[in-house]
Amino acid sequence: MELVYLLIPLACLGAAVAVGFLGSVVGRVAAHTIAIAGVAISFLLSIIVAVDVSQGHHFNGAIYTWGQSGGVVFTVGFLIDELTAVMMVVVTFVSLMVHVYTIGYMAKDPGYTRFFSYIGLFTFAMLMLVMANNFLQLFFGWEAVGLVSYLLIGFWYERESAIFANLKAFLVNRVGDLGFLLGIAGVLFLFGSLDYATVFEAAPQKETATLVSPMGYEWQWITLICLLLFVGAMGKSAQVPLHVWLPDSMEGPTPISALIHAATMVTAGIFMVARMSPLFELSETARSVVLMIGALTALLMALVGLVQTDIKRVVAYSTLSQLGYMTVALGASAYSIAIFHLTTHAFFKALLFLGAGAVIIALHHEQDMRKMGGLRRALPITYGTCIVGSLALSGIPPFSGFFSKDAIIEAVAHATIPGAGLTYVAVLIGVFVTALYSFRLIFMVFHGQRAENLDEAHGVNEPGWVVTFPLIALAIPSVVAGAILVEPVLSGRLFATAITEPVIATGSHTTAGTMLLHGFSGLPFWLAVAGVISAWVLYCLKPRWPSKIASTFSPVYRILQRKYGFDELYQCVFMRGSRYLGEHLWRTGDVKLIDGIMVNGTANLVGRLAEIIRHLQSGYIYHYAFAMIIGLVVAMSWHLWV
Amino acid sequence: MIPLSHYLVLSGILFALSMIGIFLNRKNIVILLMAIELLLLSANMNFVAFSHYLGNMSGQVFVFFILTVAAAEASIGLAILIIVFRNRQSINVQDLGSLRG
Amino acid sequence: MNFLQFSFYLFSVILIVAASLVVTVRNPVKAVLYLVLVFFSAACIWLTLEAEFLAIVLVLVYVGAVMVLFLFVVMMLDIDVARLREGFTQYLPAGLVIAGVMVAELAVVMLSGRFGLDALPRPVARGVDYSNTRELGLVLYTDYVYAFEMAALILLVAIIAAISLTFRRRGGTKVQVIAEQLRVTKADRLRIVKMSSEITDGEKSQ
Repeated sequence: MELVYLLIPLACLGAAVAVGFLGSVVGRVAAHTIAIAGVAISFLLSIIVAVDVSQGHHFNGAIYTWGQSGGVVFTVGFLIDELTAVMMVVVTFVSLMVHVYTIGYMAKDPGYTRFFSYIGLFTFAMLMLVMANNFLQLFFGWEAVGLVSYLLIGFWYERESAIFANLKAFLVNRVGDLGFLLGIAGVLFLFGSLDYATVFEAAPQKETATLVSPMGYEWQWITLICLLLFVGAMGKSAQVPLHVWLPDSMEGPTPISALIHAATMVTAGIFMVARMSPLFELSETARSVVLMIGALTALLMALVGLVQTDIKRVVAYSTLSQLGYMTVALGASAYSIAIFHLTTHAFFKALLFLGAGAVIIALHHEQDMRKMGGLRRALPITYGTCIVGSLALSGIPPFSGFFSKDAIIEAVAHATIPGAGLTYVAVLIGVFVTALYSFRLIFMVFHGQRAENLDEAHGVNEPGWVVTFPLIALAIPSVVAGAILVEPVLSGRLFATAITEPVIATGSHTTAGTMLLHGFSGLPFWLAVAGVISAWVLYCLKPRWPSKIASTFSPVYRILQRKYGFDELYQCVFMRGSRYLGEHLWRTGDVKLIDGIMVNGTANLVGRLAEIIRHLQSGYIYHYAFAMIIGLVVAMSWHLWV
Repeated sequence: MIPLSHYLVLSGILFALSMIGIFLNRKNIVILLMAIELLLLSANMNFVAFSHYLGNMSGQVFVFFILTVAAAEASIGLAILIIVFRNRQSINVQDLGSLRG
Repeated sequence: MNFLQFSFYLFSVILIVAASLVVTVRNPVKAVLYLVLVFFSAACIWLTLEAEFLAIVLVLVYVGAVMVLFLFVVMMLDIDVARLREGFTQYLPAGLVIAGVMVAELAVVMLSGRFGLDALPRPVARGVDYSNTRELGLVLYTDYVYAFEMAALILLVAIIAAISLTFRRRGGTKVQVIAEQLRVTKADRLRIVKMSSEITDGEKSQ
């Protein structure tokens, strides 16, 4: 089995390297065949591993030791359990779908083979991340997906906006990564090991270990570590206030938005916190912070989603909001529910992104929703699958999103840590807003009047099977994944060994049937339905109302349009601040201190000293002789009397 | 009998005289070289005296080597002196200041 | 006062007087001659210390070779003594102070009793069959053989240095160039002239 584990990431890596170096030689068809074959192998093997794990075969061991320093061993190792298996299947499945879809979406792009190489590399990095059995490999995967994300956001490197976006993503992620790295350092300091199993086993004994800060406050070590690790998760999973990179990352090609910025990479933070559940369970403070950050993200980002006009950005903000939901679940100690939502979200969000991509291809790379409308006849398959995706996103039963989201809300309702009450309100409002913006998108794009400025002559046709097949293939799990997974997850059976969590308090509704019955009578369901109906009223029945509402509440509208001014704030504080700091460091530090005082100053000092000392250098031999003799006398007197 | 200290004082006086010589004849390089010979002689005197009073031959061996080196030094010093005079028509130390800083 | 003490103090006085004359006389030639006297009396003092070999070497090497070299140089060079003695006594007070301090300090140490007869009694004079040269040679060729070799090398270097520094080729000296002598061929030295035989008038008349 070890060979299989090793083969899963290496198949992707091999394909990526082969396509990357030989892509221009072997041509497009061969390139995408190799890439798809690589990821398909990974997917099939992941299924085999998942089946094997479900029969109780776990694995935790090192494959290769790549360093040893001061008693700490750095290894490449795999930890295969239910959590890993679920993530592997999700990652490889979505990646496979995106690979297929890319053939259609990128057909005319000159960087075709480069793109396949990048997404192969990404799949490899993500698999290394989820399969890691130690913090160092986790960090390797973490940074590698960040790197590939940078490359892919800036894929169209001729566009200035793409370069800005990838730089922004990279910088914001650096902030998170710093926290993450400090967290790992904390783990190494406290436990003396980077191995998951060792750390988790030792964690309960270290619960009372404290750190006294210079100001005299006592910190629980575990809390500090958890908060630092969560800072990393905030960067990668785009939580407020480190979320700003994700909407801009929509500059990348749509398949990437689906693969990286919706389904997989951004969930790395969620996965990481779930993996660290034994640590987070020991710190209520950390969980409380996680909960509130998640609630803020879930609500605020959903509201921004309401006013976006770029089709991809709407989906991007919904991603942010849904990541907020997952974080809320983590904060409420419902780690397995977070993973459950992660899984269902991966399917329906990839579906929505690919659907948006299909619309964009059909309209010849037009992304503005105000120029769209009435496309449901021209794009029936896209329309149908997008409806499925939106229903799942809004949490309408029996689609998959309903089960996971309802479970999160239930978990929050039963949570008792500080902040749970407000969070409950936030997530409930979030349900309404989610349904509203999801169906706003549907109604603006597929219903209403056909936008007149769309060029009729070009014809708007459904793209080929390489685009529609992934849509359908993703639509199926978007419908059924929730119903299938809900029972094993909620009963606590599925992740019993992988995740440490208290018994999830969701009442007696642990099966799909009881969940459904309960769901129709619950508040979230009616809020979602209200959201759908509001969207229908606003964007189908009374298309003038939205602009009226916008002008009535123009301050609020403007705040939303400006995304709460996070970008402006960062621009002002961090960008200007660092430029100001850099300018001053350059002027005082570099020019004055280093150049002026240290470099030129040394030369000047030597020059001036030499100007004085050269008078001693008369060149007359007797002066030197006198100096020697006087020195001799002084030395003799010194020895004699001192 | 003659104590060791008398020999030592003698060599000390010789040393002081040669130092005064350096101060006085600071411009005449020939006399400077002679004064240096006197300095070496005073050191040799100490070596020989200690060698005798301590009954150790090593002191005389040292004197032997100092004489060797002093002879070499005198010959090279005089050779340099001749070249200097040939080039400058002077042995005045005050004319030899081209290494001034 | 026995003969040994008498000769020691006698030569000490000669040495000190001669040494002070060396550094004060006007004429460098006289200075060299006084220096010879200094070395000679030093050699005599060394004899009182039973260092016969070194005393002889001092006279032979120093007086015989080095001092003669000094004399040659001093006489060879056309020295303007008047200029060299400008400001002769300018530094005398400073020199006297320095020298006085030094002598005082040395005397404090040397007359402190640590080097007196009680602390270090004078060894009994050796017999007639004692050879200082033999003793010195025994040490020199065993324990100090490497240093001895090195001293020889230093002397060789000094010879080469002195010669190469002062040597200069004058025009007009006749030297033998062996390489050119060997390269010579018959054609360089001998010229064969072909000519018809002629009968001079005298022969004709015969």
